[in-house]
Amino acid sequence: MNPRVILITGANGGLGQAIARSFLQESPDNQIWLGIHARLDNAGKLAGEYPDHCRPIELDVTRPDSWKAAVAEILARHKRLDVLVNNAGNHQDALLAAMSLNSWQNILALNLDGVFHGCQAVLPTMIGQRHGRIINIASLSALLAPAGQANYAAAKAGVLALTQSLAKEVARIGITVNAICPGYVDTAALAMNEMERKQALEKIPMRRFGQPCEVAAAVRFLACGDASYITGSTLKIDGGIF
Amino acid sequence: MSNPELKLQIKRLLVENLMLQTTPEEIADDISMFGPGGLGLDSVDALQLVVALDKNYGLKISDAEAARGILQNVNTIAAAIEQNLSDKSGTR
Repeated sequence: MNPRVILITGANGGLGQAIARSFLQESPDNQIWLGIHARLDNAGKLAGEYPDHCRPIELDVTRPDSWKAAVAEILARHKRLDVLVNNAGNHQDALLAAMSLNSWQNILALNLDGVFHGCQAVLPTMIGQRHGRIINIASLSALLAPAGQANYAAAKAGVLALTQSLAKEVARIGITVNAICPGYVDTAALAMNEMERKQALEKIPMRRFGQPCEVAAAVRFLACGDASYITGSTLKIDGGIF
Repeated sequence: MSNPELKLQIKRLLVENLMLQTTPEEIADDISMFGPGGLGLDSVDALQLVVALDKNYGLKISDAEAARGILQNVNTIAAAIEQNLSDKSGTR
C-alpha cells in the first residue's frame, strides 16, 4: 500500500492514539499528523516514538482559521492529504432542563461544528486530488439518545446526517465519507465508577467494553482501498447494543 | 498564451475533470455550462471546476456571485483567467 498522509483530530485521547498507532502499523511510511489542542502529553510521546512519521499539530477544531493553518502546514510538507479522521469530541452531561446554554453551545461547537470546519478545510485538496477519505467518529449516543446527553446526542446525530449528505455530494469525485458509532470504549473518556461500569456492562450483549484498537481497526478499514465502494455509511462498534 | 489555445485548455480541463461524455473540440465557446440546453453541469461539477481553475490557473473564485459570472461558458472562464493573469502581472 502506498504511504498516505493522514490527519487525526483529538489525537491526544485514547481513541486518537489507537487510530494513529493503527495507521502506523498499516504502513510505517504513512505520515500521521496528530491534531491536538491545549494538551500534548500523549501525542508528544507518540511523535517521539515515530519522529519521522508522526507529528503533533496545533488544531482547535472549533476555529476555521486553525483548520486553515493546519492544512496549509500539512500541504506545505506533503502536497497532499489523503485521510481526515474527525475524532475530537467531548461531552458535558446534564438533564436538558438544567443544561446551561453554554454547555449546549460548547458541545455543538466541538462535536458538530468541528466536523463541518474540518470537512470544509480538506475538501478543496481532496477534490483537487480526486481522492480522499473522511471518517467521522460519532457515537452510539447519536442513535440511542440517552437521557442527560441532549447536547452530545444531538451533535453526534448531526454528524451522521452531515456524513450522509456530504457523502452524496462528493461520491463521484472519489471521496468517501463515513461515520463510526463507538459504544462503550475503554478509554479515560469513559470516566465511570465501579457501579456505573457494572450497570453499563449489563447493557452490552458481549459483556465487555470495547478496546480502542477495535474502533481503530474499523477506521483503518474505512480509510483503505478495500472500502472504496462504502460511503455515507454508519458503522456501529458497540458489542451488540440495539 | 493565445485566447484560442487557452479556451482549448479549458475545454480539456472540463472533459477530464468532470468526465464529460464529449470531446473538447465539440464544446462551443459560448455553450452554457449549466442547464438542459448546455453542458448540463450541476453544483458538484461547479465545485470541482472551481478547485480545478484554482489549481491550474491560480484563479480564486471566492463566492457564489462571482462563480455565477465566471462559470457561464468557456468564453467567460477564459476572460476571468486572462484578467487574473493581467492583474497579477500588473499590466492592463
